[in-house]
Amino acid sequence: MDLTRDDLISYLREEQNIDDPIEGGTELFSSGLLDSVSMVGLITFIEERTGSVISAADVTLENFDTVDRILDHVAGLD
Amino acid sequence: MSKDFDRCMWPLLADNLPERSGKIAAIDSNRRATYAELVAEAGRVADRLSAQGVGRGDRVIVHLRKGIDEVAAMFGAWKIGAVVVNVNTRWTAQQLAYVAGDCRARAVILSRAAMKGLTGASTLAPGTVFMVQGEAAGPAQGAAPRVGLSPAADAAPDEISPHDLAMIIYTSGSTGAPKGVMLSHRNIRIGAISVAEYLKLTEDDRLLSVLPYSFDAGLNQLTTMMLVGGTIVHQPLTMPAEVMRMAQAEGVTGIAGVPPLWNQIVRMLADSPMALPDLRLVTNTGGKIPPNILDLMPRVFPGVEIYLMYGLTEAFRSTYLAPERFERKKGSIGQQIPNARIFAIAHGKGIAGPGEQGELVHAGPLVSMGYWERPELTAQKMRPCPELAHLIGAEPVVYSGDLVRVDEDGDLWFVSRMDEMIKTLGFRLSPTEVEDALSQSGLVTDVVAFGVEDDDHGQVVHAAVTYLPEASASGLAVHCARAMPHYMRPQRIHAWDGPMPRTASGKLDRPAIIAATKVATNSMQ
Repeated sequence: MDLTRDDLISYLREEQNIDDPIEGGTELFSSGLLDSVSMVGLITFIEERTGSVISAADVTLENFDTVDRILDHVAGLD
Repeated sequence: MSKDFDRCMWPLLADNLPERSGKIAAIDSNRRATYAELVAEAGRVADRLSAQGVGRGDRVIVHLRKGIDEVAAMFGAWKIGAVVVNVNTRWTAQQLAYVAGDCRARAVILSRAAMKGLTGASTLAPGTVFMVQGEAAGPAQGAAPRVGLSPAADAAPDEISPHDLAMIIYTSGSTGAPKGVMLSHRNIRIGAISVAEYLKLTEDDRLLSVLPYSFDAGLNQLTTMMLVGGTIVHQPLTMPAEVMRMAQAEGVTGIAGVPPLWNQIVRMLADSPMALPDLRLVTNTGGKIPPNILDLMPRVFPGVEIYLMYGLTEAFRSTYLAPERFERKKGSIGQQIPNARIFAIAHGKGIAGPGEQGELVHAGPLVSMGYWERPELTAQKMRPCPELAHLIGAEPVVYSGDLVRVDEDGDLWFVSRMDEMIKTLGFRLSPTEVEDALSQSGLVTDVVAFGVEDDDHGQVVHAAVTYLPEASASGLAVHCARAMPHYMRPQRIHAWDGPMPRTASGKLDRPAIIAATKVATNSMQ
């Protein structure tokens, strides 16, 4: 299944309660907007949507800190 | 390093000057601070607090993300003799408001985002002083507020007694509202001296700080580094890959964690090993690491000293297992740390000997000042121990509520929280034993076992588990039948979807997990 930009942003707004505007490059974790516990929920959401398993070693800021990076990373998964 | 017990928190930092003025004291992902810069920054916080009329004995809440700002805020408050109440940023606005009300906070140092949450029911008392991170970073605007400050501001540190209240650590218990444990300057300082001694920390050490400063074990990474003049490296994120990347990039020599974090990190490193040439020690506290993860630790951390530790917020830190005994005794919490006296007490009988079990009690200078404005609770938890009267007289000890077993060498093994022991089929069963046995299957990550009342058996064993991706319930059932005696086998195993909830300190939130599992079970019946 696909994960669209709109899905991801509405997940972040509704499930993670982010009130501030979210752009493709908004830093989610390094800025402190979300904490590491939110990451767990985000990973579960992505795994459910895409049917992929994300390994702990891939859960980095480089892959998950912004909406753009998440979509790029997910696009590269099997 | 100064081994003087009778000094306060401010000199813990300030004594590093002038010798280490130019040395890096603290590292964030985007900046570094030398000791001189950290002292200056904390001094500015102190000036601003003083200018607003905050002074000795006033409670100052620090509610900031892990980092140099947070450290400066804490030491700034200590400089003027105020009491630090560090409230984890994972706590909600409502919890923050509760703590502020309970301790009657005079000032709150927080981020702009957290400030926005303090509305409606979470509004703080009128007159509370707010200091917002990143705004007016210099001394207070306008010169007038400095009136009455000097020379008192500079003289203040000398007036503060090491026996004064330095910090209140709020813990959210399994029942009721959070309660505050009161620590004196002396408690925290002796804690730092004791831990630095057995971890053999020196100014060449660079400890990674992942655990929050609102948690006694996390605070110790900071206080030990300030004591010995080392460097503290901040990692506010607990994603295992980021924790280890930071450890590698900054050449940290030590990492302190709690079991759920080690569980994730060790599994990750077992799959993707990482070279960590500077790493000298890793420590665990806050519960028992599952046995299958303990087995992997020497392999993923070759040549690294592994310390298993145990502490109570009410007595700061209590025991550790020396790394040279890890291989033979892994899983044990070892023996008393320097400056603590730890006993296992068989109630009404005496001190538990080899092979016996007893409640862990803690005596000595690390025993805290009790609970903030809860004298009955303090008297219940900290009181003279009749079984120790011949050794320590009527000196109060902390009753931990933890049952431990004493082995033939005097090393202690955590058995269970006393109120979590499962009584089933005439056996007294420790949830930890059940959890260890389930973890040994290699099929699960998070595991919590608990007793459920049962008309026929007294209690029966239930467990909540998070399965690894490739694991199945039938596989675990086969393991239970093979590896566990019948009385220990869970009557029901509940599959938990995803990782289990953690407390703000990163430990499994057992009461929440057990309650949620019971609710889910009842709604199905």
